[in-house]
Amino acid sequence: MSRASALVRLGGAYARHELRRRLRRGPGSGAGRLLQLYGPDHLVPLTEAERDLLPAASACINCGLCALVAARVAGLRPADLAAAYLRDYPILPAAASDLVGEAPAAVMASAAAACPVGVPLEGVLAMIRRLTSA
Amino acid sequence: MSAAPSTQDVVVIGGGVTGAGVARDLALRGVSVLLLEKNDWGAGTSGSSTWMIHGGLRYLEFDWETTRLSCEDAGHIVDIARHLVHRVLFLVPVLPDDANGIERIETVMEVYDRFQPLKHAHPHVRLTADEVRRIEPGLTSDVVGGVTVEEWGVDPHRLAWANVLDAVEHGARALNHARVTSLVHDGREVIGVRYVRDGTEVEARARVVVNATGPWAPEVAALAGQDIPLRPAKGIHVVYDRRLSNFVISTEAIDGRDILLVPHGPITILGTTDDDFFGDLDDVEVLGDEVDYLLQAMARVFPAIEHLRPVRATTGIRPTLYDWRPYEDRLSRRHELFQHPQAPGLITITGGKLSMYRLMAEETADAACRRLGVEARCRTAELPLPGSERDAPTAAELAREHGLTALAAANAIRRHGCRAEAALGEARHGRIACRCEHLAEAELANAARQEQARSLADAFRRVGLAAGPCAGAACVDRAAQVVGRELGWSASQQREAAREFLLGAWLGRSPLLERRGWAQEELAYAGRRGYGA
Repeated sequence: MSRASALVRLGGAYARHELRRRLRRGPGSGAGRLLQLYGPDHLVPLTEAERDLLPAASACINCGLCALVAARVAGLRPADLAAAYLRDYPILPAAASDLVGEAPAAVMASAAAACPVGVPLEGVLAMIRRLTSA
Repeated sequence: MSAAPSTQDVVVIGGGVTGAGVARDLALRGVSVLLLEKNDWGAGTSGSSTWMIHGGLRYLEFDWETTRLSCEDAGHIVDIARHLVHRVLFLVPVLPDDANGIERIETVMEVYDRFQPLKHAHPHVRLTADEVRRIEPGLTSDVVGGVTVEEWGVDPHRLAWANVLDAVEHGARALNHARVTSLVHDGREVIGVRYVRDGTEVEARARVVVNATGPWAPEVAALAGQDIPLRPAKGIHVVYDRRLSNFVISTEAIDGRDILLVPHGPITILGTTDDDFFGDLDDVEVLGDEVDYLLQAMARVFPAIEHLRPVRATTGIRPTLYDWRPYEDRLSRRHELFQHPQAPGLITITGGKLSMYRLMAEETADAACRRLGVEARCRTAELPLPGSERDAPTAAELAREHGLTALAAANAIRRHGCRAEAALGEARHGRIACRCEHLAEAELANAARQEQARSLADAFRRVGLAAGPCAGAACVDRAAQVVGRELGWSASQQREAAREFLLGAWLGRSPLLERRGWAQEELAYAGRRGYGA
């Protein structure tokens, strides 16, 4: 009985939905609305470049060889960039105070060169910086 | 060896979130309780769920009242466990050949929007094809549009522990790694249990024994000659090393079942399967075919999944109520309370789902109180769980105070809420025990000292030890020292604990090695040299 009633009510909802769509002028920006609702929870989209970076970042085996070359980049141990920081994106704004100081290109390049699995450290750091302020 | 018997009003068997919830409910009513768990808190079905507190969108097709009840109770859980829950936003991409077009899907979301305020969730958003791809660039270009729907995520291990902790703080006793071996009878009546812990057998007398053991409920009920009709179903999940997206991606598998890719904190969970299970509940394996089934389904809308790295697979058994004929995923997720008139004193609660645990616990505690003659009412929907009593400090403040990185402090707050400061204790050295999880050494020590972590696997569940990309290869030895110092382990016991943890983790990782796992595994082997693995 409740199943029949549920289906009838869904049918009614569908008819009202179609009617509303015909009367509506045009859709607003769904993406804008989504960012407005979920921005406070830091649930923001990744860019295409960031999406492309993830497989390479995932290759990190946390071996620490990069940290032997560069003890700190932007205040962080370089091995932590991909293995720890680039994991839980909505928590990053709370960890913003960890990112201090500079990450000179030459230092980043030598740390990246030491990586046995080719983690693109510069891209990873850029992504962390963006998500920290997102 | 045996110890002196104990006496209490109620013994609860089963330390999943439901059993822990029953113990909390009863303790808050002033009832004396002993809670027993044969493994660790939340280590069974609770921990192997999809980690969701959802409102029952699928029930709109069957019964709107069930959706209302589910949403209402999800709202209660959000209220009492603020620090443990997070919004999970589903992106439902629509493909040209989907069984339901975007208008039908949006209709269902519009109806669901009426119930969303009950659980403090936002209404749905409709997206164009361009917007869907901009929001989630990993999606296939075939997408013709999409809609969103919001639910809540929760770490079930922490949720189970928070319930245990609150029960204990209100007078209950709670023992993990305590296996019930038999029930104590007086004629037909059940008057207690016998359990073994650390090699010692103990008798615990009680006026009510609650069987909250999920899929093991038939085994426990059989100790009193009772039959519980279940149709257990196996479900696996594949866990990725990081968030693959900030949104839940939903798709259909080859057989039309819904498959989800759900971000939770620093990991992503892909699941689940749903298959009748007839084997040993304590020895459930993940099969390569099951992993393929999930990956095939998700790759259809999210091709990027093929290039991302899974770090483990988990499996568990759902205690689905018995029904002949329907396919597994059409079986009801309702729960049932059995009062066993042929074995007075025994109550069984089984079936159900994580989202309904509080309500299941309330109904069970009501039944126990009726037998005990206790009239106190349930307060679990209104009193906050430990950690949610007030606002938590900021991560920056906590980090400064304890000499930690803000990330480690933020992780501690995510697990302990306003009690994070207490969890980090007096330590000011800022040492990190597990770099991938960015877990503070002080928090790990606290898990052993204050949170009943008795093994490294318990610490994995309690504070995420070795849950990250390196799966313990880099941290397990040091972690064994930290935990061992608290629990009084010798050097060889520490070594054995590390070996045992790595071997256990291997079981979850081995079905995934063909999928970008070998580099990691080689490191794990290197770290494991000398363990004889």
